[in-house]
Amino acid sequence: MKKVLKAMMYLLLCCTGLFAVTFVIYFFNLDMKLTSKIEPLLQKHYDRIERDQHL
Amino acid sequence: MAVKKSRKMVNPSGIKGDIRYGDLYKPGGKVRKRREWRGVKDTLYDYSRWLGIMFTLGKFVAVPRNVKAMFRYRWMANYLAVPMMVDRHTQGLRGEYLRMCHTEQDLIILDVAKLLANLFRGDRRIGNDKAFSDKVVLVDENEMTAVMMGFPGLKGLSRETPSTYVSVLLNQHAAEHYIDVAQEYGLAGDVCPMPEAEAGVSIDDDAPVLGKCAIQCNTTCDGSLLGNGVISRRLEKEDGIPVFQLPAPLRHREDDVQEYAAEEIRRAIKFIEEQTGEKWDWDYYFECARRVNVATRCRNEWLDMNKTAYPQVFGSNLALYTETNYMAICGKVPEFEKADRRLMKLAEKAYRKQKMAAREYRHRAIVWGVQSHFYMDFLVWLLNCWGIVPLTDMLSMVNTEMIAETDTPENREQAYYDMAWLTENMIMRNRTHGGYRVLLDELFEFVEEFDADMIILWEHITCKALDGMHGLFEEKARERGIPLIWVDHQLFDPRVISRQGVRDQVNTYMRTVMQEEPLDPTLEILDDDNSW
Repeated sequence: MKKVLKAMMYLLLCCTGLFAVTFVIYFFNLDMKLTSKIEPLLQKHYDRIERDQHL
Repeated sequence: MAVKKSRKMVNPSGIKGDIRYGDLYKPGGKVRKRREWRGVKDTLYDYSRWLGIMFTLGKFVAVPRNVKAMFRYRWMANYLAVPMMVDRHTQGLRGEYLRMCHTEQDLIILDVAKLLANLFRGDRRIGNDKAFSDKVVLVDENEMTAVMMGFPGLKGLSRETPSTYVSVLLNQHAAEHYIDVAQEYGLAGDVCPMPEAEAGVSIDDDAPVLGKCAIQCNTTCDGSLLGNGVISRRLEKEDGIPVFQLPAPLRHREDDVQEYAAEEIRRAIKFIEEQTGEKWDWDYYFECARRVNVATRCRNEWLDMNKTAYPQVFGSNLALYTETNYMAICGKVPEFEKADRRLMKLAEKAYRKQKMAAREYRHRAIVWGVQSHFYMDFLVWLLNCWGIVPLTDMLSMVNTEMIAETDTPENREQAYYDMAWLTENMIMRNRTHGGYRVLLDELFEFVEEFDADMIILWEHITCKALDGMHGLFEEKARERGIPLIWVDHQLFDPRVISRQGVRDQVNTYMRTVMQEEPLDPTLEILDDDNSW
């Protein structure tokens, strides 16, 4: 019984922790702040790709 | 004539959480400082939908060929901004309006993710699944997909939808590179930048290569014909993909063009059958036709609600969903029928409770003309900044008639006319072509029907279809005492007129002519030129 309670406690803590972390990411727009830093790097990469550019 | 008086309505429930939306913008930034606080219940709902979007995106990048495509195609970088697009369209929304927006946007995101996955699966550069590619018929972005309603074994895929149309919804600057490429190769700069960007993608060798054949339509304008010419040349001469040109009549309201239009549909279907070896399936066609009617019935009811004092499905919630559901889906995806029904339930619930989507409604507006695609959330801004309710927009005023949905010998013949009718009445085309009646006269009929006291008239500066009627719109509005605000823009190119340039035209009119103060002054001037 104790083991079950302990496991449930861990599960609850994990869920709460996961919620707290993802909610902070969501609310402070951290996902978009991160991807906005990635975009310029991708643009540089696209500029380097050889293309068969013609009409 | 005296100016028509507007009726101000104050929301008795108010708006929970943030109400100064401009404070969330980071001056000069690409993204916002934080997401909106909407009260506990709605914030948690929005958070749960954000998790859902993250799950969809996570599933998409878990497929290696999708990651490969991300590093191959420049336009794929815009998909980094998917969650922000949803944030832009849900600004200020609470309760049922927020749920409507998520019902639509989350489904559209899922549908676009599937479209991308299919494109990359068949793409000769990425997945190179030849058997799958042989079941693909490429269709124009700006084309009614009605001719695919009888081919359950085929996939009608549009390359332009994800590369340009959706990309500009995600990132206002998405098309600039491709517009520049097209013009570097001598294409005219005074045509619509949408088909020009689509041609630019093809010239820049940045379009997935797949499909057994393709269907192009003489959609809307000179630019569209120009773009299609450039794209089909590469498809046919280099990629070996034959292209059928589907010329739908421009004078689509005339009875004597319908037989010709139906014949073109028959020819298009025959072309697809010959190229792919698939046979037209009437059972599947009528199943799709029934779903088209469900969507039309729902849209008609929403429009009827919008004629009352308590409009429910309007602004972005009406415009973006109608464009997707009517043109690209056209009855072929059952999930959209479910979404139609859910939206209807939400709208009816809100209507019964006489709910309002903003703190105040000050004006009831019909939005006409071709909207600025790089600023699709302008409709949300109108509501939040000035209390102007965009009751409906030109692109949402498409077919309202039911099509034949039961399988009988007569209806099989009627079906060709129905598909032709849908194609002729494709979004934008059904108003920009067809004569002054569909563009000019019907606008003022809608003003009466919807009891509107204002017209927001987009002037897409390189759209020749509308420019010639400038004076006639003004004359009619003056006769009826309806304030008309011209809003110039260049559809896909914010370098010509910026988002603030768009807003300034409304701000100036509202302050000088209407002598009003904004509902939310923090939204009046925003430094969002660099924003996605």
